[in-house]
Amino acid sequence: MERIGTFICTGCGIGEALDTQALAGVASELKCATCTTHAALCSPEGVAMIREAVDNGTIDGALLVACSPRVKTAEFTFDASKVAVERVAVREQVVWSHPPKDEDTQMLAEDLVRMGHTRLAKTQFPKPFTDTIERTVLVVGGGLAGLEAARAAAGMGHPVVIVEAAGALGGALASCRDALPDTPPFDALHPNRIPELVEAVRRDDRIRVLTSARLTRIAGQPGQFTVEVETAAGAEAFTVGAIVQATGARPYDASKLPHLGYGTHPDVITSQQLEAMLAEGALRRPSDGALPSRVAFIQCAGSRDPDHLPYCSADCCGTTLRQVATIHRDFPSVETAVIYRDMRTPGQLERFYAAVQNHPRSFFTRGEVARVGGNGRLAVTVANSLLGEEVSLEADLVVLAVGMVPNAADGEAIRALHDAQRRAQTGESETQREEARKIAEKLAAHEGTEILNLVYRQGPDLPALRYGFPDSHFICFPYETRRTGIYAAGAVHAPMDAAQATEDGWGAAMKAVQCIEAISRGEAVHPRSGDKGIPDFFLQRCTQCKRCTEECPFGTLNEDEKGTPQLNPLRCRRCGICMGACPERIISFPDYSVDAVASMIKAMSVPEEFEEKPRILALMCENDALPALDAAALRRTTWNPWVRVIPIRCLGSTNIVWIAEALSRGIDGVILIGCKYGDDYQCHYVRGSELAHTRLSNVQETLTRLALEPERIRVVELAHDEFERIPVILDEFASTLEDLGPNPLKGF
Amino acid sequence: MAAIPALLPSPSLREELARRGAGDAGKCYQCATCSSVCELAPAESPFPRRQMMLAQWGLVDRLAADPSVWLCHQCNDCTVRCPRNARPGDVLQAVRSLVIEKLAFPGLLGTLVARARVTWPLLLGLPLLFWVALLGLTGHLAVPPDLPAGAWGYELLVPHVFIYGVFFPVAGWVLLASIVSGRRFWKLIGSSGERRGTFAAALLPALGEIAIHKRFGRCSAAKPRQLGHLTLLWGFVGAAVTSGLLIVGMYVQHLAMPLALTHPYKILGNVSGALLVIGGAMLVGNRLGDRNASGTTSAFDSFFLGVVVLVIATGMTVELARLADAASFALTVYVVHLGSVMTLFLTFPYSKFAHMLYRTLAMVHARMTGIDTPR
Repeated sequence: MERIGTFICTGCGIGEALDTQALAGVASELKCATCTTHAALCSPEGVAMIREAVDNGTIDGALLVACSPRVKTAEFTFDASKVAVERVAVREQVVWSHPPKDEDTQMLAEDLVRMGHTRLAKTQFPKPFTDTIERTVLVVGGGLAGLEAARAAAGMGHPVVIVEAAGALGGALASCRDALPDTPPFDALHPNRIPELVEAVRRDDRIRVLTSARLTRIAGQPGQFTVEVETAAGAEAFTVGAIVQATGARPYDASKLPHLGYGTHPDVITSQQLEAMLAEGALRRPSDGALPSRVAFIQCAGSRDPDHLPYCSADCCGTTLRQVATIHRDFPSVETAVIYRDMRTPGQLERFYAAVQNHPRSFFTRGEVARVGGNGRLAVTVANSLLGEEVSLEADLVVLAVGMVPNAADGEAIRALHDAQRRAQTGESETQREEARKIAEKLAAHEGTEILNLVYRQGPDLPALRYGFPDSHFICFPYETRRTGIYAAGAVHAPMDAAQATEDGWGAAMKAVQCIEAISRGEAVHPRSGDKGIPDFFLQRCTQCKRCTEECPFGTLNEDEKGTPQLNPLRCRRCGICMGACPERIISFPDYSVDAVASMIKAMSVPEEFEEKPRILALMCENDALPALDAAALRRTTWNPWVRVIPIRCLGSTNIVWIAEALSRGIDGVILIGCKYGDDYQCHYVRGSELAHTRLSNVQETLTRLALEPERIRVVELAHDEFERIPVILDEFASTLEDLGPNPLKGF
Repeated sequence: MAAIPALLPSPSLREELARRGAGDAGKCYQCATCSSVCELAPAESPFPRRQMMLAQWGLVDRLAADPSVWLCHQCNDCTVRCPRNARPGDVLQAVRSLVIEKLAFPGLLGTLVARARVTWPLLLGLPLLFWVALLGLTGHLAVPPDLPAGAWGYELLVPHVFIYGVFFPVAGWVLLASIVSGRRFWKLIGSSGERRGTFAAALLPALGEIAIHKRFGRCSAAKPRQLGHLTLLWGFVGAAVTSGLLIVGMYVQHLAMPLALTHPYKILGNVSGALLVIGGAMLVGNRLGDRNASGTTSAFDSFFLGVVVLVIATGMTVELARLADAASFALTVYVVHLGSVMTLFLTFPYSKFAHMLYRTLAMVHARMTGIDTPR
């Protein structure tokens, strides 16, 4: 930005705690078009003053030295094509968290103004967006979640194409006669409404249905996906804007559960087999076709078992309750026994459970089934109950409530398999080829599992996350996957029952529509919604190291044959992880770049050693760590005054150069505070904080070689609600640095 | 390890429990609310949650052999808080009635009392008939014409020898039946291997606890019942002590009967009577109140309570009738009183009254085995 206007607010105690005249002096030393102090910048008069400066072209950058960018957003939003706004949170980071009228406090505020100004000076306007965006939503899978997603998207005015692999719509639950109650009083079976739903979708002229269809290729990016489909009628291609993957789940392979008698006793069946019988109005023992006098249901057959499915399959308890109710209604003489570890009946399902359990021929007991055996009548032996010893019951028919496995393909594993297969042929040495063959063998199960057939460098399908489900982060971003514009819904997304799948279909459709709307305005989707900047690659200097193409969590970058990244800007989530990865520093955003942050570090004043004022650089993630810092300030928590915070988009965007810059300038230590990572990660960009940890541990090794203490760099994980830890973390780091003594590079 | 073969006759077991006032065991979904609110549940034992599970499985034999069933005061803290309305308090009460029937000697009498819903006219009627017949045949069914007005005692209506002649053998028989059943119970709930110390050493503290209903007092849902039960217990103790003192008074001290109202023995007797009336009224009131707090009242419960109330009511009326000098009315009530006391005695080992025996034994057992470690 060329013409920066600095606006210093003196409200909210800022004027009392700081020497705002001196602060204005700092600003005017920098290149400023205007520098104004106002008693309440967020008041209508204050906002009007800024707006006037924008409208008459006096400024193209507004440096607001006031409160956190997380508050007063409505007041401080201006025409983004005319002005870039940088907000320096002196209220939270200085006034509320440090003693007033103090030398160190004043120095902190002045540094923050310098740093903010520098960032703004390095900010550019984003390029205008002119692409055409297709509004159609592709729904992959025509089961309950897919049908609901299709109806929802169509209802929001978007054309929909459903691609279904089977010959008919309806999915796994289509043939069930009964359904769980979804209206009060929730205590009796309802008729299955899926046939009705299929009919409604069939009649809807906004929804095109392709059955017996297979996706052969999806190329491009959100808003511009080109989809190729093969059906009985031949191949066809069309363009869609966003995709909902609702490919459902399949039952866990019961033959892996021999201790439950499946495969050895004909009268041990799965709940799907029972479902097929009940759908025909029959209940027969497979061995002799007779009506069983007692049916035993074994819950968690394979689920919540580290040897099989470690997770709860969510649907089996409800399915068993439904089947028990059907049996009691249709076959009144039959007794039922349900052996469960925990009956999980979320929401109103609890009422149905109570109603089913109250039936005089129902028996529900808690325990784990040790084995199923016996000649003739089956004996189900239950262990680990409160009874303290094994106990067995006889049954004529045993039903295993098997868990669900997502109908998902692991795109990254398929890619790894194909890479290994290629290396097994073309590897340079026999050892390399042998190693590749071993990897290929291990991944052999992924061969031919493709569903979406994406033309993405990181593989043809969504990456599998925990337990093989493509869910991204169910608490913060439900429906998100790691492929922008592609949303998972229903049982492929996470184990769920029909009620949840219905809701999930709607949710994913809304995310798909939201994505199409956002990118048609040239804006990023969540979490940087509204961001119009697109990363720029200065490819002349690219060394084809492939770090960016490999590390991007969203598969934004494809590669040409040499390994040069090919940007698909509409896939980009603007996290800057590529920017942090690039050793050549050729990737930058209009308002966020390696140079901008490095210049901010340069703008910090670093007092000489004898002044005994150490300096600490804190790179804090804007998603969780920065809000936590605001929360700490709001509670008037105080922390070390040597710390200078630079908000960053993600710890993963940290370029090592920043650390080098900080240490070489004599800054005593660098602390990176970001989201938790690992299985229960909270990183808004999935892998960012984990990548930062890896990169930083490499840097620490380098430091040791340079005779600098590795303790001068620290990476800390912080959750949004852990604001109480902030002063502890910062003060503790400061005292570690004091023990180490000043940075020996100070003053050079 | 061989698994216990469960009968799982779920419908019939449910009917059996329902007949005894606990039709809801099947509703239990093992949430453990009962165990966490129970003042008796030892920290490491899920009581009565485990018992609910045994009941669901139909493992009646295991329930019958479980002494902790008898440590329960049926305060119904569990029933009141059960989110599923499975009524654990009722289930334990049903198990106790089942055990009383199962261990009865002779079994036929146990079954007769267990079916009190149908047999109560017989159980009350036969002793009454016995007294009518005995007094009728000996010419004592009418008030003697030479009865001194205003200064008569019951000895003049029914000679004491009749009382001794009937009740000493009855008491002996009841003692015998109780010893047989008590021994069966003692064997059923444990073995000498697991018990430490002597019976007597454990009995004394157990009796001490019974005397003040210490643990019963910690229950919250049935607080009024605890007070009523304690009052009634001490009323009975007082009445028994009075009876003993009167025998001493008559045959050792040669006191003139009836005693004056100011005589210490008489005062003790009347105070005991008052306690019985108050305690009995409290228990009846409790049964008529909130079903959750009192527990479901089965015929087994109401028969025992009914007999107790009848004994108290006729006993107090007998005294008042004498004071009112209404001799012929007094005689009628006295005969009913004698009949109902005989019913109370004879049904002791088979009715709910037997809890006095079994609970005391279970408490002694608990002390001897160390399972008695309430939180």
